[in-house]
Amino acid sequence: MSESFPVLLAVMAAAAFLCRVAGFTLMRFVPVSPRVEAALRATPLAVMAGITALAMQGGGLAEGLALASVVGLTLVLRSDVAAALLGVAVVALLRWAGL
Amino acid sequence: MSRVLFSFDGFRRGARDGMPLAVSIFAYGVGFGLVAAQAGFGVGKAVATSAAIYSGSAQLAAVNLLQTGEATLWALFATILVINARYLLFGATLQPWLWSAGPLRAYGSLLLLGDANWMMTMRAIRSGEVDRAYLAGTGTPVAVGWLSGTALGAAAVSVLPRPEALGFDLMLACFAAAMMTAMTRTRADLLPLAVGAGAALAVFQVFGPAPAIIGAGLAGAAAAALVHRGET
Repeated sequence: MSESFPVLLAVMAAAAFLCRVAGFTLMRFVPVSPRVEAALRATPLAVMAGITALAMQGGGLAEGLALASVVGLTLVLRSDVAAALLGVAVVALLRWAGL
Repeated sequence: MSRVLFSFDGFRRGARDGMPLAVSIFAYGVGFGLVAAQAGFGVGKAVATSAAIYSGSAQLAAVNLLQTGEATLWALFATILVINARYLLFGATLQPWLWSAGPLRAYGSLLLLGDANWMMTMRAIRSGEVDRAYLAGTGTPVAVGWLSGTALGAAAVSVLPRPEALGFDLMLACFAAAMMTAMTRTRADLLPLAVGAGAALAVFQVFGPAPAIIGAGLAGAAAAALVHRGET
């Protein structure tokens, strides 16, 4: 590769910027009907479920137990941030214990 | 366009919520900095890369590609486009809420868009957050953590234990699990959960992790649109 670093950087930045703004910009031309709104509302839930499912599948017992405890702790504590941080502590502890 | 709320209060609320994310992102910034240093990047180049791409997975792929010495500009561009394609979906879901803040504030906020603070912001919107500065607020501590971590790592200051030892590799998944639980209020919300999880696992088998996230989002959105009743 003969290009200088600033050129490489500009190309990489352009690609990353395009991803951040293109979906947002295109959505300006989509009329938001109740059906589209339902789809938009469902998207974060589906992505979060996807991330969780992939982590469960890729992980072992420690990861599975930690994520299950996060779901339970969120319902009990009624604070998702606290539950998530406790989940991180749980997996660190279980790994330290050799699970 | 009526002026919507974009205040320092909202920014501060977002920044406070983004703090815990920043800690784990910092640790990963150190990780990226170390990789970049091994690839011959100095501190300046490493931090510039973190600022310009601002996405861990895409940066690692880019550095790996550059190390082969045979990367073309197009290959570099396409690699980042493919790995970060999920941001198209994230931007689209934010649009109805964020656009009313005006183009400058909206596009400025999108520069700080990442996986974790997108989830956090969508969660806040669902709970009635109206202050559009919240997104930039959540992104700011994360960006500071990412850039300072990169600088330390590239300077070979590896004072931290490996992120895995602290459980930080599971941080994003823990936030995802917690927020999806908190956001699930009605039985109708269970459909995108099931469809998203199933689609992610199925797409992962064939195409790998980056497309799996997009597949989950699109499948969940499609399922919700299909079962939507009432006026279209």
